[in-house]
Amino acid sequence: MRIVTGSEEETKKAGFRLGTVLKRLSRGCTVFLYGEMGAGKTTFIKGFASAFGILEKDIGSASFVIVAEYETSPPFYHIDLYRINKAEDVDALGIWDYIDSDGIAVIEWAERLSEIPENAIKVRINYIDENSREIITEGVDEEDRHYMQGRKVGTC
Amino acid sequence: MHMEGYKDRNTLSVMRNEIKESNSSLITHHSELILGIDTSCDDTSAALVADGNKILSNIISSQSDIHKKYGGIVPELASRRHIEMVWPVVDEALNRAGVSFADIDAIAVCHGPGLIGSLLVGCGFAKAIAYAKKIPLVAVNHLEGHIFSVFLEHSDIEFPFLSLIASGGHTSLYIVNGLGQYIELGRTRDDAAGEAYDKVAKLLGLGYPGGPIIDELAQEGNPKAYEFPRAYVPESFDFSFSGLKTAVKLEVQKSELQTLDSKLIKDIAASFQLAVVDVLVRKVEWAIVKKGIRRVTLSGGVSANSELRKRFAEMAKEREIELFLPSISLCTDNAAMIAAAGCHHFKAGDIAGIDLNPKAYLPL
Repeated sequence: MRIVTGSEEETKKAGFRLGTVLKRLSRGCTVFLYGEMGAGKTTFIKGFASAFGILEKDIGSASFVIVAEYETSPPFYHIDLYRINKAEDVDALGIWDYIDSDGIAVIEWAERLSEIPENAIKVRINYIDENSREIITEGVDEEDRHYMQGRKVGTC
Repeated sequence: MHMEGYKDRNTLSVMRNEIKESNSSLITHHSELILGIDTSCDDTSAALVADGNKILSNIISSQSDIHKKYGGIVPELASRRHIEMVWPVVDEALNRAGVSFADIDAIAVCHGPGLIGSLLVGCGFAKAIAYAKKIPLVAVNHLEGHIFSVFLEHSDIEFPFLSLIASGGHTSLYIVNGLGQYIELGRTRDDAAGEAYDKVAKLLGLGYPGGPIIDELAQEGNPKAYEFPRAYVPESFDFSFSGLKTAVKLEVQKSELQTLDSKLIKDIAASFQLAVVDVLVRKVEWAIVKKGIRRVTLSGGVSANSELRKRFAEMAKEREIELFLPSISLCTDNAAMIAAAGCHHFKAGDIAGIDLNPKAYLPL
């Protein structure tokens, strides 16, 4: 599924919609997020996390702490592997425990993982220009895709 | 197996300037003696602070050499190194101060925010000692520690004051109305200022940590060479450095990194640094005017930046405000600031339980 957003707000909105969909599932799940530096990954996650009632200001870059845990219901984990260079470090950090948990995790720089589970939810954000981003989502059910495309944001 | 952690066990750095000869006599008539422990990131630190502001010892074991080759902190290595270093660092802090556990009134430990694996080492250690030696335990937020660092050099600072914390993990501005009374005016909406330095250094193919390297290169660059964006975030005291980072990235992409000559790198470094400093100075200036507060303190690793210190000093002179710049050694993470904040909590009877758990994300 492909969405083109025309502003930061729309990118947040796309994140919010995915967050809303995944929050409804009564099981843990992980979003593997891809995108170059400056693509808008943090912006997308601000929107995603707002579906859990987390304030935008409480989501920043997680590069420094790598895992930021939020005590929401279900718990939300903002994971950022930017500073990870080796797959062993991912294992040592216990990232797989978050992936297998009952919470919802979003992992930035998912390309740093040596493998990802089958049928995983993958989101790739591509920079188009200063305001526009292309957001490609894989692994989401058809009915949820319908909701996520919304009315204004996007084309398929 | 990473063995490099073992070779320099005895090379603990000591902040000599803070250990005054006269301090040894304080032990006998101090009112509170606090052992501070900080393992929130990549430095293992322990300090003994008397009366909340007199540093008897402040030991910091830096890991930056270990992490340099990876271009950033490797959390697992950091945790392991903390485990190796926490005992020798605490021992050294006690020895330098000439005290033993029996003399200590409380152990103050940083329980967040920070790297969870690193925090766990400091907290686990502090809890074990507190339990075994029956010493009260106090939990200190790392950001509160940074705010308290000013008292270590200026115990007579009057309230209220503005406190800017700018480091690799944080960029926040507070009004401090009294001990324990903080109002957050703003914080970064995305990257921390120090993080922007690290990411830009990586983009330019420079080493880690990015702050000192860019600071040095910027001295010889033209800060007007590139017009990088300043995110002033209107009507807010919040910061944003993500757009600046992206702008530098786009500039670097224009000229392939291989063809970036040293002049280009220096110009980009200088222009980037000016953009960061402009925003930090302007936001604080705005807070001075809007809130009518005429005392400003800085802390965090970025406050060691030469351009930032220079520009804040100029601004303070121009606006005739009081500026409290910490010594370079107290800008970065240290346990003395944790002990200083811990002393306040101890006096307030704010004692932590043995069930204290560290948190990576812990707003003040």
